[in-house]
Amino acid sequence: MNDRSPSTSGRKIVRTVCQGCHCDCGVLAHVEDGRVVKVEGDPDHPMNEGMLCPKGLSVTQFLYHADRIIYPLRRTGERGEGKWERISMDDALDYTANRFRETLDKYGPSALSWSWGDAAHQSCLWSKQAWLKAMGSPTHWHSDAHYCYHPLLIANQVTFGSYSTSEEGLDYRHARSIFLWGGNPVMSHPTRARDIMIGRKNGARLVVIDPKFTQLASKADLYLPIRPGTDDALAMGMINIIIQEEIYDKEFVEQWCVGFDKLRTRAREYPVERVAHITGLDAEDIVRAARMSGNYTPCIHHGRMGVQQNRNCVQTNRAISVLVALCGSLDVKGGHVSKLNSPKGFKGVFYIVDTREELRLPAEIEDTRIGAQEYPLFSGAESLAISCAHPPSVVHAILTEKPYPVKANWFLNDMVVCLEGQRENVKALMELEFTVGSDFFMTPTMELCDVILPPTMWLEKDGIAEVFYQTGHKDFIAARQKVVEPRGETMDDSMMDLEIIQRMGLEIPGPWRTPQDFYDYQLEGLGITFEEFKDIGYIEGEIKYKRYEESGLNTPSGKVELYSSILEKHGYDPLPYYVENARTPLATPELTEEYPLNLITGNRHVAFFHSNNRQIPWCRELEPMPYLDIHPETARDLGLSDGDWAWIETPETSDRVKMPARLTRAMPRDVVHAPSHWWFPETAGPDHGAFQSSINLVLTNDGPYGPISGASTLRGTLCRIYRVEDKE
Amino acid sequence: MKVTLLTDVDLCIGCYTCETACKQEHDLPIGIRLMRVIQVGPKEIGGRLVMDFVPMHCRHCENPPCMAVCPVDAITKRPDGIVLYDQEICIGCKRCIEACPFGAAQYNPETERAQACDLCYHRVDQGLVPACVYHCPTGSLVFNEPAVFTETRQAQQAEGYLQHRFPDGPDSLLSELGEA
Repeated sequence: MNDRSPSTSGRKIVRTVCQGCHCDCGVLAHVEDGRVVKVEGDPDHPMNEGMLCPKGLSVTQFLYHADRIIYPLRRTGERGEGKWERISMDDALDYTANRFRETLDKYGPSALSWSWGDAAHQSCLWSKQAWLKAMGSPTHWHSDAHYCYHPLLIANQVTFGSYSTSEEGLDYRHARSIFLWGGNPVMSHPTRARDIMIGRKNGARLVVIDPKFTQLASKADLYLPIRPGTDDALAMGMINIIIQEEIYDKEFVEQWCVGFDKLRTRAREYPVERVAHITGLDAEDIVRAARMSGNYTPCIHHGRMGVQQNRNCVQTNRAISVLVALCGSLDVKGGHVSKLNSPKGFKGVFYIVDTREELRLPAEIEDTRIGAQEYPLFSGAESLAISCAHPPSVVHAILTEKPYPVKANWFLNDMVVCLEGQRENVKALMELEFTVGSDFFMTPTMELCDVILPPTMWLEKDGIAEVFYQTGHKDFIAARQKVVEPRGETMDDSMMDLEIIQRMGLEIPGPWRTPQDFYDYQLEGLGITFEEFKDIGYIEGEIKYKRYEESGLNTPSGKVELYSSILEKHGYDPLPYYVENARTPLATPELTEEYPLNLITGNRHVAFFHSNNRQIPWCRELEPMPYLDIHPETARDLGLSDGDWAWIETPETSDRVKMPARLTRAMPRDVVHAPSHWWFPETAGPDHGAFQSSINLVLTNDGPYGPISGASTLRGTLCRIYRVEDKE
Repeated sequence: MKVTLLTDVDLCIGCYTCETACKQEHDLPIGIRLMRVIQVGPKEIGGRLVMDFVPMHCRHCENPPCMAVCPVDAITKRPDGIVLYDQEICIGCKRCIEACPFGAAQYNPETERAQACDLCYHRVDQGLVPACVYHCPTGSLVFNEPAVFTETRQAQQAEGYLQHRFPDGPDSLLSELGEA
């Protein structure tokens, strides 16, 4: 009865790895007559152990979708007019390479760039970097880098060195308390939700900190409905209580932390009454949370987008990292396990791009990158993130030619709806002299490209899944392998990159002529080839704890830096602190009279990843429209019934967007939530409804940015809501 | 041996995986969800918010009301308890849809026939669990004999008695938080 092995009757079953999000779940693809007829979770894969999510389970509808772009297209009308001619991949590559070459000769290497943002293109990070390296261009951007993974990396690195993060290596299954800060893994990373539920079953206390009452909030021992954007104050308040009540790990702090006295002094600025006032939480609940963290160790403090997408995100992450250290939960079973457990000898893509001479640009070029002067720890040669340009600044650079002109861009995702300041994003796209697109469907961004080079999707290509979001109890790599022949004339992104480099008359900066050559290179330290790896499936590293006892931490002091010498050196506050977002009832009471509601945006839905999957029937059925979550009484005061369309205006831009109201007590009375990344593939181009309901239209890309990673604020601004009248 | 599909609602996290697993396994069009997760709440009860996610599907009744009203005997019950809707025989009269108290009998807009969860009998016959159970990330969906579910429940409840009798035990939330 408990047999979880997949059904096998009369089919070829191929083991591979999903790329629908960053989870990298193992998949068994059932193939009949060269077609994928079904997928199932791979019960032997260390990440998902058989489960999959709606994205993965809908993949045949993605792969064989009638609207998927499977042949190269070249624009024949005006940009955005929707007139295309089908050309061969060979012609498309030649055309693209020639146009890039012209741009390179005319403006120099920095004028060429590429941009991405979704999981499906993560596997070509190395080859796109090879293209930049071949030209000598530092310009690469990632639509949400400044407020996604990167602020967290910076915060963790200045605190722990490149040792551990509060995003990967979280050993939920063995934790005794789990704190979710502004995240709902049920919707964003279901494999983690599963691990959290296993941890809970094993006795862990679950604390959910979120203005919205989420799925996991309903399972939590303590739910803290925090006022948007004040996680920094809560974390500082918890630090203060943990220190005052002496429930921190004294031995670990004494032996392995520096700056404790300075931290204690700073934390005293956050007595619980003040924190309660700032966060809108009950003082008793704050004390309960702090005591749970201090007493139920190892604890996990997992900060997600609700934390990142506020301008003070690096310092908020700093405070959360400090909590991990104070509670003695760094690199122990059930805590934040180090990143050093991956299979020995394997060269990861981020490692290669960041450190290997073949792909790394000289520091003097990296320091010219857009954003490097303003945000050196984010965009410069000394970056502690995956170094890339500051996204809103690239948009500005395209429009103003400052600090330098950017004239051609290769778009791998739907940049139009995936980055705040949407109207400017479109202006910038139209301003570019040459636009190339590699995406799966005709998105608002692809509509504005001059040529489209359609990529293969994960069932059609090889690769190595490095499992971006490692769990704490397993660290491994997995083989992604081609299950079926690519549809039409689609081509592996990395193969396109190698072709473009050569057709531009440039040298590939390494001994790689095919993507498989590169995978062999990554695996050579393990003594196997990629072909052999495909048969092996996945390789686990050895999990060891307290690795710092052998080699120390690679911070300047070799210890956990509660007081950060790196931040001090760069002129930032070396201690974490709270700062109010720019437009809130506390910061701008007069503005609040005009815009009386708090706005948070961008909760994930499990059926989608960013702007993907809106055209996949089984996914769209689960969440057909961009629902505006609003408390029933707030809605009543505004004359809104469930399903009524409502306009949303913010003080940030002069646009407005509309969404159908979804009345729910999951929201506090004074906070509304608007989903992000919405467009409607079923409506006419070039914008496909992106100017109707994409929340990035009413979020500014003009700051104020956070000082360290240049984060904009997407989860803590103001808005006003009113009914859409008939015929609007 | 009778098999059935039961839910531990405490473990359901509302991830909708079972819904899509079912859609894929049965190649269902839009508009029919033989497995559907219903969100209940959040509601304010006793000053706090509560919310459940409840997977709804055919209960495979012992005396299926749908079977009783089917005019063409398209609905049968197998010895192992699985209720089956024969798509060849069904005339699409929808009486089963009226009769089912759980909303499990549904109309397939593409085939214009009635359909309900068939417990993936094609998998069960191979010794496998239904697709929804296979993919459920938390073990909320339980496919087994009803008695096994009962035993698990009893054991869980019995465990709770110990917790009540020793609230100040070493693992007690109250004592460690200093609030006892």
